[in-house]
Amino acid sequence: MSYLGQQLVNGLTLGGVYALIALGYTLVYGVLQILNFAHGDVYMVGAFIGFFVMVGLGGPLKPSVPVAVMILIMFLVAMLGTGLLGIVIERFAYRPLRNSTRIAPLISALGVSILLQNAALLLFSANIRSYDTSSYISSTLGFSFADITIDGVRLFVLVLSIALMFGLARWVNGTQVGRAMRAIAYDRDAAVMMGIDVDKVIRWTFFVSAALAGAAGVMNGLLLRGVSNGMGLVPGLKGFTAAVVGGIGSIPGAMLGGLLLGVVESLAQGYLSTNFSDTITFALLIVVMLLKPNGLLGKRAIVKA
Amino acid sequence: MKKTTRLGVVAASAALVVSGLTTVATPATAASCSGTIAIIAPLTGGVAFIGKEQQGFAQLAVADYNAKNGTSFNTKDYDTQLDAAQASTQAPNIVANKDVLGAMGPAGSQEVLAIGGLLGANNIALVSPSATRTNLTAGTFPNFYRPIPNDGLQGPGDATYMAKTLKAKEVVVIEEKTAYGTGLAKEVVATLKTLKVKVTNIAVNEKNADYAAVVTRVSKTTNFVFVTFQDAAKSEQVAQELIKQKKKAVVFGSDGSDQPTFKTPGTLVSAFAPDVTGLPVAAAVVAAYKSTYKAEVTTFGPPAYVAAQVIVEAAGRACAAGKPNDRAAVLAEIAKTNIKQTIMGNALSFTANGDVKGGRFYIFKTQADGKRKLVA
Amino acid sequence: MSENQVPEEIQESAATEAAKLGIGTDEWVAQHEERIARKKGIKGLPQLINESIPAWARWGVLLLISFAFGAFVDNQYLLRIGVNLGLFVMLSYGLNIVMGYAGLLDLGYVAFYGIGAYGYALMSSEQIGHHWSTWLTVLIIIIGTALLGYIVSLPSRRLFGDYLAIVTLFFGQVFVQLVLASDNITFPWAEDYVDITAGANGIPGIDPFSFFGHKFLNIRDYYWLLLVLVALLTIAISRVNRTRIGRAWRTIREDALAAESMGVMVNRLKTMAFVTGAAIAGLAGAIFAAMQTAVFVSGFDMPLMTMIYAAVILGGSGSLAGAVMGAIVMSVLPEVLRVTNYSEILFLAVLVLTLAAVGKSVKRFTINIVGIALIGFLVKILLGAASIKTTPTKEWVVGPVSRALSHWMYVPLDRVLWGNCAFVILIVLIAYFTTTTPRIKSILLPVIGYLGIFLWEVRLVTDVNTTRQLLIGAMLVVLMITRPQGFLGKARVEVL
Repeated sequence: MSYLGQQLVNGLTLGGVYALIALGYTLVYGVLQILNFAHGDVYMVGAFIGFFVMVGLGGPLKPSVPVAVMILIMFLVAMLGTGLLGIVIERFAYRPLRNSTRIAPLISALGVSILLQNAALLLFSANIRSYDTSSYISSTLGFSFADITIDGVRLFVLVLSIALMFGLARWVNGTQVGRAMRAIAYDRDAAVMMGIDVDKVIRWTFFVSAALAGAAGVMNGLLLRGVSNGMGLVPGLKGFTAAVVGGIGSIPGAMLGGLLLGVVESLAQGYLSTNFSDTITFALLIVVMLLKPNGLLGKRAIVKA
Repeated sequence: MKKTTRLGVVAASAALVVSGLTTVATPATAASCSGTIAIIAPLTGGVAFIGKEQQGFAQLAVADYNAKNGTSFNTKDYDTQLDAAQASTQAPNIVANKDVLGAMGPAGSQEVLAIGGLLGANNIALVSPSATRTNLTAGTFPNFYRPIPNDGLQGPGDATYMAKTLKAKEVVVIEEKTAYGTGLAKEVVATLKTLKVKVTNIAVNEKNADYAAVVTRVSKTTNFVFVTFQDAAKSEQVAQELIKQKKKAVVFGSDGSDQPTFKTPGTLVSAFAPDVTGLPVAAAVVAAYKSTYKAEVTTFGPPAYVAAQVIVEAAGRACAAGKPNDRAAVLAEIAKTNIKQTIMGNALSFTANGDVKGGRFYIFKTQADGKRKLVA
Repeated sequence: MSENQVPEEIQESAATEAAKLGIGTDEWVAQHEERIARKKGIKGLPQLINESIPAWARWGVLLLISFAFGAFVDNQYLLRIGVNLGLFVMLSYGLNIVMGYAGLLDLGYVAFYGIGAYGYALMSSEQIGHHWSTWLTVLIIIIGTALLGYIVSLPSRRLFGDYLAIVTLFFGQVFVQLVLASDNITFPWAEDYVDITAGANGIPGIDPFSFFGHKFLNIRDYYWLLLVLVALLTIAISRVNRTRIGRAWRTIREDALAAESMGVMVNRLKTMAFVTGAAIAGLAGAIFAAMQTAVFVSGFDMPLMTMIYAAVILGGSGSLAGAVMGAIVMSVLPEVLRVTNYSEILFLAVLVLTLAAVGKSVKRFTINIVGIALIGFLVKILLGAASIKTTPTKEWVVGPVSRALSHWMYVPLDRVLWGNCAFVILIVLIAYFTTTTPRIKSILLPVIGYLGIFLWEVRLVTDVNTTRQLLIGAMLVVLMITRPQGFLGKARVEVL
């Protein structure tokens, strides 16, 4: 029982990070119907920004501000930085392609992905950086419950990812930009006729989507330490998977998909095989997709002739 | 009209550039001994950090030799991204470059398998700073040398230390599914089994990032978790996760974990050299590397220095013996390598198969202050 | 004089738009002709080339060059690049059928290549201990990969676009994981584990091809084999493309629903595309394994996949000549860029061309070049006055271009720091450039040009391999923005 519980905790935290990445995919897809394949690399940039903020504030060993403040600043700067990066990417790689074929933005995104990875290699060198959380967050922090331990960082990541998801839901449903975004997702032409500034809304969408990825990047650093220029590929694929499983374009779908993916992966590693865990996850997802081709919470696509 | 003038300008400027290029011809370097040491390394891609460090140290070795002996050997990079297909594309390129006298690299054992034969047929020596698979020195590649001990020494050595000296009863071996991890894990598991230790082998994908689920599988009674990662941040993550999940098992890292980021107190790590950064013989090189390349020294660099040193010294000897630019002569000289003390602190000469004579591994234990102490 | 031109252009386009855009006409439809029409200036150049050279001439010249290459080139490295190109063209052809013709987004395509390679390796090495005849092995591989292609095509009956993409993506990932994990399989009935694929270790010592007693020991043998195969495939695919099947594929790509209602057997045709593509990739894999005599699973993963996709789309999805061109760019260009001399010349040529394209007039172009030169001298004086240490010239001069620039260029000692700063500033400036007014643009352009050269000489030259990747990435983005249909592709209007 405790074993299952522990694996669920592991899976949920991992899933929280996946969900944040998946949300980024889904937001952009909802508005523009394009798959932002550079998203994983934005996540990488977020992790790097977080790392350099940490180093800039005196490094993990002797931070010049309290740890809580340092982590807060890490998140804020990383989210702001990646958000701006998202706007820039949209402006240069996607906006010129808005009326183009579906495959063009995909390749453009591929180009951006290669660019970001190698720009990071050039600027930050190829060294694997480590967040080194153990030196400023006690590894015994957290609590135990019936043999299940939830350590401080994991709890923090879980709570923060859920908070960010709810914040996003409020933003989408409660603000004018959020409503405009949904209107564009529903019918772009009609939205334009209603006087919605499409460019502005798309900018916002990219900002939010990339900022979420940036937050996920910092979380990854806090949770798993290692930061390198090629780290975005796998989480990018996982986030994309989560978004599709949940039903791409659906915000609750992305959250559900992310958490589900994390839990399934954890359980597969815990009970079946660590080696085949991705295979098992994939197999399960393919089954889901065949049963519900539009994802778990996706709307049935209306095929326009 | 406008269009034609515009095209005209483009063409004219292009012509200008081309003519400028042709007039400035490359002056030939006229030094007594010269030649190229090929650097075969993953300079881009996922493990660029390995290649970059190897490249830097190899360049330093050649520069140092030139400075001491007044020669003008140089280096040339061949990026393989640790991919055998790219390595085997570059192999004929290296062969075709008549200046190449020997090659530092490649980094991966699978790359040696892919290109060793072709380079051997052309008398080009391969001195790899990180290809440690045992069967590479089984006689298939007479042109292959390595200045570091192979997995056949490390795996059984670490396993014996855990079982005999530390009296381990139960060990989990995390086998990362890479050429490096798989080879090493097999050796460790086999030795532990013969020593009647209960072994659980957990294979993980290289792309895996979160090891919490794996750590949860480690039982409470496990004494050691042997990890075969090439990224020390992962080993550190496993060590910390074990503490968080209140498990007593201690992480034992292979030489892939021998980097400053792996520093949880109590952990063990095996390395093919005593801590290079603390050795007086290596101080100058380490300082030069840090100032020139602005990067930390990890486990991958110093062997690359030694590997390049082996080649450039052999090339120098061949040249002094009146055989400049003779690959076969360089290859023959490499076999006779006898360095009194390398920057890794040991004396270096090769066995007939290209392994280090009397090579051994060192085991360190991380102290409470994060420093490492030699224990075996 | 270009400033006078701008209002005219605006007037003109406004007028044509007004004429076309009647009431009830969709803007998109109204612009259809314009979209397809050839663009003016440099942007229209590819299409001009495409339309003015007849297909037979193009292919004939290509064949002649390839033939001459195989016959006269003796450099093993060049031949190996030729072989790589041949394999790349085969892969691009296969993907072109699946994605270019039938419009199926198959992200697991590279797995078929891997399966072909591993299949050949297992049947012709000591791994399992079989050394079957090449004929038999290749036949088994073609049939086997075709069958697998059939199985993978099954989900495509239910799934569209991105959803199909993800299922096939998993197929590719699962292949890699299975190969990695199959070195240590324990069967319930057996005591010891079984090693099938050797996992990450890969399989060395694979037999080369052997036909009628002739062993393919020279790389040139593979070159000829690939040349013949590619030629045959070119003829076969372009033939099929002109038949009912080819037309049906394209209708599926454009609109599967409409195609179905017109009586096109959508599912069967999708399957056919998958099967053909898979078989071609499988065959290519077998040749690759025999040529390299060793296979490692890491070579059949996402990086190669993205390269093949980039090749097909770069050249123009749906065009065979485009696939060849894309393959050349993606497999030969990276090798060319390895040589600093060439990449330097290429860089300068691209810079000059860009300035010419952006400047739009001779006067502007001259101003830009002079501006760059002046900025260079200014920077040299300023940095010299600030007595910032320089890197000795002989350390940074790598080729004729940098030698020519060496009297003008100021290369600081700390090249990493200065280069990184220049890199960041350059990106910010380019971002600003595209959004600002023409006046500021004209001031910024020389600055950007100078920064580009500075960055190149200070930083990028020291890091050729990263630069190569950066250039490939930038090329993909720029190409998609300027010519989304690919270099030789036909512009088409997609119903969304």
